[in-house]
Formats: sequence, C-alpha cells, structure tokens
Amino acid sequence: MTDSPDPAPIILIANRGEIAMRIIAAVRRIGGVPVLAASAADAESPAARAADRVIVIGAAPAGQSYLKPEYVAQAAVQAGAVAVHPGYGFLSEQPRLAELLEEENIAFVGPRIETLRAVGDKGSARRVAIEADVPVAAGADIEDPNDSDAIVEMGRSIGYPLLIKAVHGGGGRGIRLVSSDEELSTLVPQAAAEAEAAFGNGALYLERFYPAARHVEVQVFGDGLGGVQIFGDRDCSVQRRHQKLIEECPAPGLSETRREALHDASRSLVRALRYRGAGTVEFLVDKESDDIVFLEVNARIQVEHCVTEEAFGVDLVAAQLRLALGRDPELPDVPPVPPAAVIELRLNAEDPDADFRPNAGTVTEVVWPRGPGVRIDTQIERGYVFPPFYDSLMAKVILRAHDRDAAVSAARSAVSVIRVHGIQTTLPMHAFVLSHPDFIRGEVSTSWFTQAWAGRKDEQ
Amino acid sequence: MTDGISWNDLLDLVTRLDANEFESVSLVFGGISVRMSRNAPLAETTGAAPVAAPAARPVSTPAPSPDPPGQLPTESPAPAPGGETITSPMIGVFYRRPSPGAPAFVEPGQSVTADTTIGIIEIMKLMNPIQAGVSGVISEFAVTDGEAVEYGQTLAFLAGESS
Repeated sequence: MTDSPDPAPIILIANRGEIAMRIIAAVRRIGGVPVLAASAADAESPAARAADRVIVIGAAPAGQSYLKPEYVAQAAVQAGAVAVHPGYGFLSEQPRLAELLEEENIAFVGPRIETLRAVGDKGSARRVAIEADVPVAAGADIEDPNDSDAIVEMGRSIGYPLLIKAVHGGGGRGIRLVSSDEELSTLVPQAAAEAEAAFGNGALYLERFYPAARHVEVQVFGDGLGGVQIFGDRDCSVQRRHQKLIEECPAPGLSETRREALHDASRSLVRALRYRGAGTVEFLVDKESDDIVFLEVNARIQVEHCVTEEAFGVDLVAAQLRLALGRDPELPDVPPVPPAAVIELRLNAEDPDADFRPNAGTVTEVVWPRGPGVRIDTQIERGYVFPPFYDSLMAKVILRAHDRDAAVSAARSAVSVIRVHGIQTTLPMHAFVLSHPDFIRGEVSTSWFTQAWAGRKDEQ
Repeated sequence: MTDGISWNDLLDLVTRLDANEFESVSLVFGGISVRMSRNAPLAETTGAAPVAAPAARPVSTPAPSPDPPGQLPTESPAPAPGGETITSPMIGVFYRRPSPGAPAFVEPGQSVTADTTIGIIEIMKLMNPIQAGVSGVISEFAVTDGEAVEYGQTLAFLAGESS
C-alpha cells in the first residue's frame, strides 16, 4: 500500500500539546497537510510551528476555544480540511462536533456519532456491555429509593462493600461507597436527591465494589462494519485520584485465561457496536477473585496509546487517519502478547512534594534520555512557556525493552538522566515508584500509589 | 517562514506577558519594535498602543484551500497615532452588511460607540453581530466583506480621537 499524494488531504488538528505534535507527525506520515486549530495562547507553540498552517479559533481559556464545536468546525471549513482529528479530551467524544462536521461532509477521525452516544453515559454503556455478554460488576437498578426493605435485600445479594452510582453521573461524581445495611438505606434517598439536583435525573444503581483491583484495558481497532483487531492490553493501575501516572504493555502477570477473557469480551463489545477506528475497553481485574468487570469504553485515541504502538510496532494515529480517509488502515494482525515490554511515564507540571499542585512558567532547560527503545512525546523545549490554562501533561517518556524487568530498569535509568528546569515536575514521583519493590514485582492495585506515597512521606 | 509578525503574534505576546509580572516591556524583533506598559503612558514617538504590524503571519503558508487564509492584508495601513483597533472576538466569516446588497452597517468616516454593530461574523451558519467595543471614528476596515477571519484579527481601525 502507498499513501498516494493526489491531492494531499488537509487534516485539521483540533488539540494542543504533545498530542497535537503526535497527530501532525502522523498526518505527515500519510502524506497529508497538517493544519492546527489553536487558541491564542498556543498560536506560536511548537505544534503551531510544526503545522503547515495555524488557525486561531479563540481565546486562551479552553471554554472559549478548544471546547467550542462550532469554532472547530468553522476552522475545518476555512482550512478546506477533509478530516478533523480531535485528539483526546476536549471535543474528542462530543457528538456535537461530529454532527457539525457531518453536515459539512468533513470526516470526524473517531467512531460514528451513534457510538459516541451509546458509550457516552454509564447507564447505556453498561446496557450495551450486558447485551454483548461482557462481564459487568454485579449490580441492580434501584426502582424506588424509599423502599428500604427492597434496597437492603438488593444490597445483601450483591454483597458489601458496594457502590451507589448515579446512572447519569460521570467523572467520579455521584458515587458513594457503603459497607452496611444501615448505611445503604440511609444513603440511597440522599444520593437520589443529590443525583436529581446534580444531573437532572435521580436514577441510581448499586454495584459491587472491588477494593483490590487492577485497571487493565484492551486496545481495539474497528473497521466500522463489525470487523475488529485487538492490539493487546495495558495496565494503568498506578493512579492518583483516578489520574493515570504510569502505563505499561502488556499488563504483567495476567494468566492466559484471563487475558483471553478480556480480549474476547472487548472483541464482542466492539463487534456489537460496529466500532470504527481506535478505542479502548477498560476493565477492573480483581486481585482477590477471578472476576473481571467492564468499566467503560473510551471512544478516542488515549494518552497511553504509545505503549501499544511501541510494543507491537504499529502507528495507531496514522491508522485512524487512513481509515477516516477511506483507505486501508494498514494494521497487521498481531498476537495477544507483544514481543516486547513497554512502560510509559507521564511527566506532569506538578509538584509532588506540594500535593501535586500544578505550576506553570518558562522551561529554562530540558534534557531527555537517548538510546535504544526510548521515545519522548512532548511539546516542551527550552524556552517554552508552559501555559496555566490547560492540563499539566508535559511529556510522555516511553521505554521499550525485551522484558518487563529490563523496561523498568530502562525507565529508572531514563529518570536519572531527565532534566527539566524552570518548572516543578513529577519526576521525583517516578523515581520513587520505579524503585519500589511492589512496582518492580508488578500487579499493584489502583489504590496502591496513594498509600505507598503517603508511606514515603511518613518515613521522612 | 517570514520573520515578520502579525496581530496574532502580538496578542499571544500580550497573553504571555500578562501572565507574568512585567510592568513594561520593550521588544525588538524582525525589524519591528514593540513597547507595552501596564499603566504608565508610554512617552515615546507615535503608535503607543500595540501596533498591528504589516506582515504575514509567520506560521502561515499558503495552504491549498477554497477560502483565503485569514491573513492580515500585507498592505494594511498603520492606524492613526493613538488610534485603536477593533479585533475579531471569534473565528468565522466577516460580513459588513446585514444581507447581500443591503447598505453596510457602518462606513469608514462614521463614528461608532461601544455597542454599535459594525458587522456580522458567521460561524457554522450562525450569525453573530459584532459590536465595536470602543467609541471613535472608523478610519478603515482591515478585512473585506465576506473574508474569513480568525480570533484576534483586526477588523477595523479607528482614527485617533484623543479627547
């Protein structure tokens, strides 16, 4: 296959930071013309310099630029773009942008609008998963929040501790942990009233809580017709307040049976959705039982897609673009376990010694590691003014080696070489995790980091 | 790449400087000199306010596109001394008339107040009236009727009526 340049397709990139750089590189790889939609604060960013053209869509705050579907669609029209890549975050999973682009006959680099809707809220995502025979956490819908007898009976059949979740909640909001009959019958009516106030709908369900579980996700790529390719799995259990800090591919220590169950469930869900393009199916993998349960579908390219790319030697972003342009995505079929182990460290502009407070300012010096298996995805360089308006991700440091021990060791070595001056970064946090015996052993749970980090401070 | 600067470059500069604690700044680059101050009146020469530089945007290259890129006209006249500009609050297509063939909202030479409508910006078929935001006399429009504009781009110059 060749990427014929007749005519070179103009692709609008509706994002910023490292992912804008990443998408620009992929646009060039397929022979396209990258045009960046930027806020006024990013009009001279490294991504802006890397693009062939920049269109300033609005003011610095994301709410007046990157989060405006109309502005992005207008920029696509003015650019003469044939496709818009939304990256992650911002408008990447908003049906509104996809709709506006459809009206203009411009391709949205992402799933179909129906898919964005189907997986966009917890309730419908859970229903889709159940229909596709994907294991979900034991749970039940609450019919009447004031019928405490029925609720307690439901709670006992699920088992404690359990979670009360708002059907229309999201982003960690509207979730309560309860561990007894009494707590359950008191909290359900309160939670219903709160959900009504916060989400305009008081619908609740109960779900089993797994106190010691890992976050494992499966990378999928669908052809939009029901065909699906699986690109292994990632472990993203090193988290702080639901924010991923370190990701790796493959997920360590998964038995063949468990891996097969995760991959099969993902394949079945993606087939049922006739999913188009790159996506991720997230699961909790319990450490205390054989349970695996569906969490959600991320209908976009994810921050941590790089570990999968490096492990399998593929370019997922280029594949997304090719598919959106109606070409062959040029992805090989790969085995369930890659021939390499890859670790990604997210370097954030946060001060780990000040409760991870974000900071902004001028980067006065940057030194990255070099060598075999080292990949740095970043927008920062010496003299870059890290703006205060957006998220704190500065760089992704990705290390590939022949096995996990070697990758961890490579990551530790990389951390000792990296220098970023002018801004506080999370580098000391990475040094801590990469030297911790629990992480070196592998298979830590999602609650591990918070406890381990607090323990570190106690020792000092 | 050219080494000229544009109105967008200046806006970006102002944003960056505003986030820091500079009282006043003087910069020379690409043959252009810019002076800015938070509060002190700048004593020197003419063009005390940020000056729209008559140059192409450095980041733009002429992409094959049905619409002309939203570039500043390379021959844009400098505003009169002390004159202000009206800039675009959003990306879109700028129209000077309420409908094709209708008279323009305002013509050069007319005076405007902050809430005078000077044009319309169409964004995905939605028409947004654009107010002057300042009062004064319009000396010249910086963009033509029906031109694609970007956020921060100069739409019109006001004659300096320092009173």
